[in-house]
This record gives sequence, C-alpha cells and structure tokens, in this order.
Amino acid sequence: MRAITVFLKTLREMSRDAWMLGLTLAFAPFFVLLYWMWFSGGSTTYNVILINQDIGAQSPAGSTFNAGDQVVEAIHEITYADGKPLLKVIYAADRAEAEPILKNRGAAAFILIPEDFSQTLQRLAGGDRSVTTNITFGGDVSNPYYMVAVNLALTGVDRYVQEATGQQPLIRYAEEPLGVSAARTEFETYVPGTLIFAVILLIFLASMTVAREIETGGLRRLQLTPMTSLDLLGGITAALLLIGAIAIALSFVVAIALGFRSLGPIWVAILVGTITSLSVIGIGMVVASFTRTVSQAFIVANFPMAIMMFFSGVIYPLPKVTVFAVGAREIGLYDLLPPTHAVVALNKVLTLGSGLGDVLYELAALTVLSILYFAVGVLLFRRFHLRSG
Amino acid sequence: MTTVLQARSLTKRYGPLTAVNNLTLEVYEGEVFGLLGPNGAGKTTSINMICGLLKPDAGQVCIRGQVITDGDASVRTRVGVCPQNVVLWGQLTCLEQMQFLGEMYGLRAKTARERGERLLNEIDLIEKKDKLARTLSGGMQRRLNLAMALVHDPEILVLDEPEAGLDPQSRVLVREYIKSLARHKTIIITTHNMDEAERMADRVAIIDHGKLLTVDTPEALKRTAGEGDVLEIEVDAGLAESALAAVSKIAPQISKTNHTLIIRARGVVELLPAILDALHSVNARPGEVRLRANTLEDVFISLTGRRLRE
Repeated sequence: MRAITVFLKTLREMSRDAWMLGLTLAFAPFFVLLYWMWFSGGSTTYNVILINQDIGAQSPAGSTFNAGDQVVEAIHEITYADGKPLLKVIYAADRAEAEPILKNRGAAAFILIPEDFSQTLQRLAGGDRSVTTNITFGGDVSNPYYMVAVNLALTGVDRYVQEATGQQPLIRYAEEPLGVSAARTEFETYVPGTLIFAVILLIFLASMTVAREIETGGLRRLQLTPMTSLDLLGGITAALLLIGAIAIALSFVVAIALGFRSLGPIWVAILVGTITSLSVIGIGMVVASFTRTVSQAFIVANFPMAIMMFFSGVIYPLPKVTVFAVGAREIGLYDLLPPTHAVVALNKVLTLGSGLGDVLYELAALTVLSILYFAVGVLLFRRFHLRSG
Repeated sequence: MTTVLQARSLTKRYGPLTAVNNLTLEVYEGEVFGLLGPNGAGKTTSINMICGLLKPDAGQVCIRGQVITDGDASVRTRVGVCPQNVVLWGQLTCLEQMQFLGEMYGLRAKTARERGERLLNEIDLIEKKDKLARTLSGGMQRRLNLAMALVHDPEILVLDEPEAGLDPQSRVLVREYIKSLARHKTIIITTHNMDEAERMADRVAIIDHGKLLTVDTPEALKRTAGEGDVLEIEVDAGLAESALAAVSKIAPQISKTNHTLIIRARGVVELLPAILDALHSVNARPGEVRLRANTLEDVFISLTGRRLRE
C-alpha cells in the first residue's frame, strides 16, 4: 500500500518536472530520429576513391574502350536490397591526391587501376593465360569502414573481371541470410541498440531519484514512518518502469513512422525492453545505496553504465567468456549484464521475426537478473540508509 | 504526573567519541520539555535515539513503559518530528505532501487529506494548500515543516529549533500554536534560544558532552545560578583582572568576560556604590553599566562554560 503511495508521489513529482520528464521520454525517440537522419533513412554508403591509370585498349572491331571506367559501373551495381548503392566512387588522379581524402576519412579506401588493365583483360578474354596485372587497394586500415568498403569493392571488380574475360569462377559462393536480415537497412539494425541504450540510461534517473530523497532529507522524514525499504524502492521503481515503458513505446512509434519494420511482434519487444528497464533500475538502486547526493549518484552510475554499454554487445559483439554451464547452456561473464540478453532477444524479435516462445530464455534471464539486482539494491539500501546505526 | 517518555542510561559512541553518555531523563504527559545544549552536546543524537532513528549502544527508551526496539514500526507513529532543516518535497503542493506523509504513516487517503487541510488551516496556510511547496516563502515552508510532523496525530512531538528562521509574525504564530498543542500532546523542544526555552518549556534539561547536567523548571534553574539580579559593568580590559579581585570581596558571585564584570547578588543595586568604590581603588573606570534579571542563559553559560563549540 505504501509502495503505491510512493509510486503516485514519484509520478506526480516527475510530471511536474517537465524538463526532466521530457528529456527522459524523448531521449530514445530522438536518437532513433538522429540515426534515421544519419543514415538518410536507410544505410551507409561507403566512399571509395578510384585512381584510374588505365590507358585503355582497342577492340578487334577497332573501337577503344577503358576497362577502368567500366569497373565504376560494376561497383555502382552493388546495392542494398532496396536498391540504394553500397559504394560511392570518388575520382582521384593519383595516390598523392587520394591520401589527404583518406586521412580526413572522406573515403574508406582507394582502388588503383593500373595502366595495362584494359590490355590485360583483352588478352585474357582472347585466351592468353600468360598475362596478369595488379589492382591495388589501400587506405587507413584502422578505419572501421575500410574492411567493408574494400570487400565490397573487391566483389564488384571481381565480378566485372569475370564478365569481361568470360572466365568462370573455380568455386561459386552462395549467401543465405538469416531471416530477412539482408533486407534490413542499417537504420533498422541500429534501432534495437538505440532502444537498449535508452534503457541503460535509466540507471541515472533511478539512482538520482533515490539519491534526491537522501540528499533533501526526505528519506530521513520517511524513516520516521513505518515505511520499509521495499515500499520506497518498489514505489520508485514502479514509477520509473512506467516511464521507461512509455519511452520504449514512443521510440517504436517514431522508428516505425520512419520506416522501421519489425518482423516479430512489437509487444514482445516492448516486454523485453520493459523487463530490461527493471533490471537496469535495480542496478540504479544498488548505485543509490552507496551514494548520498544526486551528484554522487550521477558519478557512480557512470561506472555500471559504461560496463553495460561496452560489455553487453550493444555497441559491438564480444567473445563469450564462459564462467559455468547449466545443462547445455553456457553462462558467460557478460550474461550478468541485463542488456546482453536484451540485445539477443530484440534481435531475434525485430530482425529474425521470433515470437514470445523464442525469447523465453532471455526473458527468464532478464527476470532473474531484475529480481537479483532489485533485491541486492533493497538490502544494501536498508543496510546503508535505513537501518538505525 | 504520568511519565510518557523515559530515557534510561542512553549511551551512544562513535569510535572514541561518546556522543551521549548515560543519559537518563523523563518527560511527563502534556508538558513542554526543553532540551538545551551547545553545539555537539549530544542533543540531536539523543533525539534520534528517542525517535527510533538511532539505536543506542546501551540503555533504552520507553514510551508509556513500552521499550522502543530497533525496527518497531508501531512506536514510530506515536512520535512526530519536526526537523530543524526544512524537509519538504518541492514538487508537491502543501496539501499533497501532508496527504503523502499521512499515508506513509498508515492513514487512509481521505483521513490524511482531511487532517492535512485542518492542520494547514491551523498553521494559517490553507490558502496555499494547492501551491507547490518550493514556491512558498521561507517562513511558510517552516510552518509547513511543523504541520507535517503532526499529520499522523502523534502523542509526542519533537521540535528541533522550531523558531529558527521565522520572521517575528510567524514566530508568534508558531509559539502560540505549540502552546495550544501542549494541552493535548507532550512536546520536546531542542533549542539554542534561551528565550524560546524560557517562554515555552515547562521543564528544561541542559546537556553537554553527552551528559545531562541538570533538569528542572526554568525558574528553579535560574535560582540555582544565583539569587537576585545581574549587574554587568564594563571596565578597561587591562584592569579587568584587578577589578575582578577588588569587587569579589564585596560580591563573591562574580565572573568576567573580556572586559565585562558580571556580578550576581540579591539587592545588587544597593551594593553598587561599594562596587564603584572598589573599582576606583584599582583605578578601573567603569564604562557601561547594565542591570538585568537572572536568565536561563546565565544558567546555561554557568553550566556549559563560555568556550566556543564547533
């Protein structure tokens, strides 16, 4: 009963702090919008620099042709499922001109077509297997885009060379994407991560809301009542959970309005997000237990926030560090982080079209972690803030 | 007189520091009990133990004979505490926080709301009931702070410096309100303000270094500090010691602070010519001369000394 009173009071206070509430609710939808704008509503187009030094060749019919120019067309034919080009060609006369562009990350890689490229292709097409030539690729290999751009460009060049010479590849490779993952735009692949990012940030709101009660003396006043730590933290958690669920739902509304397609049921994704919120709020309660002021809570919350961001696979996947096994399932170190399960579950639902039954393990793991962190938070809070010393 | 609250041999230590040392006192039903002491004397620690916020290392607190034990929630509803620092939820209206706190004490929402309205009316804040607490003036916030301590209708009311930060009008209102409460409740006031204690308290306890120094009515305490009135005479600082020695032969109850002699005696005015002669004999020319009645502050200073506290 007292938890409901705290729940209503927390909601009332939040509703009157328009700036804070607005930021909390708008954060994830705003990031969805930012990503959409960043990817122009679709996916990244990688810039590659073409240094075409090909002097061309004369065909048996007497006309001249430049294979280097035709490579550009082949590269442009590599597109996303929606027809949007994967690569954009920028021209440079030589490497000296290309280098500053690469250093400034105006392009991910360069392709240098040699001067004998057309002649070599012509002789290969005529059956002369004694000739060869070198196409040079390069760029800043520390640029995360480099590998993608080079691989894609290689695919385009290789395809053109096979067509131009009439040679069959020794082995054909077929790609079979899982679900409809190939049809996903880059914007769509980032939406789940954005949602989890927003959920992770609830740790600040949770820890700071509790710390405010400590800092202002409200907790001291409440300590004089028969309230328990479960009443206080339960009420605050329920209010934050509602705010979190609304923020997630709003994010989906914005994402869908901007072209995001979920292959699985959205309600399952919202359920995953909401349970993840619960566990993140639980961690926020643990943080609040160790702090006495709002600024302390903010500073301390950065630590678990960073761990969740970088070690749960939200930003990039990490190798599993197995700690123990339950039956056939290996439990990794990062499985202690709620977002780890949320990433997997949201990917299954949103990208692979899974339903509730397919994410039961992740939901169970999230529920256990939520209960665990919340219980630890309640115990620590009672130990450090409510027990008479 | 019925004892409502009893502290028996309360002791609280923080490492090597003994904040409260074997404190024993009784508070009677319907009285206003003043708890006086300099900073760091152990007042707040004592109050926190009485409220159940702090567990004593030794001793116990009883309310109507029932021992308060750690975690005993039922006892908490019998005590209302008005903290010295204003503790309000700024984003709630006056009435909302009365209702919120009332519900946290276990009242039904309707009851808490009705009681909140009644208290706001009594403390002259009913017109502000729908205003956010953070928009109130400092004095209004202090009055609201006091009203919140009463929302659950406690049997014992603990007021920590209730007049601090109040303007004169609010001070009179709060003082009269506390006096009106005293008919129905037992009130414990901690304060530095001797006037406040003297005006309001039926009995006063003075504690220092965690120990109870004395407890009695203000009048009785004033008598213990010395009979009669107090004469204060300013003299040259360089001659204060010799002036003290000279005057002490006429009025033995004498002390000094910097360059002021403080002489306490029955019929002190009649001794004035002799005192002036004594000063003249040591070439100490009297400056300002003040005559006043014996106060509780004299008792306080005589018991706790003049040394500044942290």
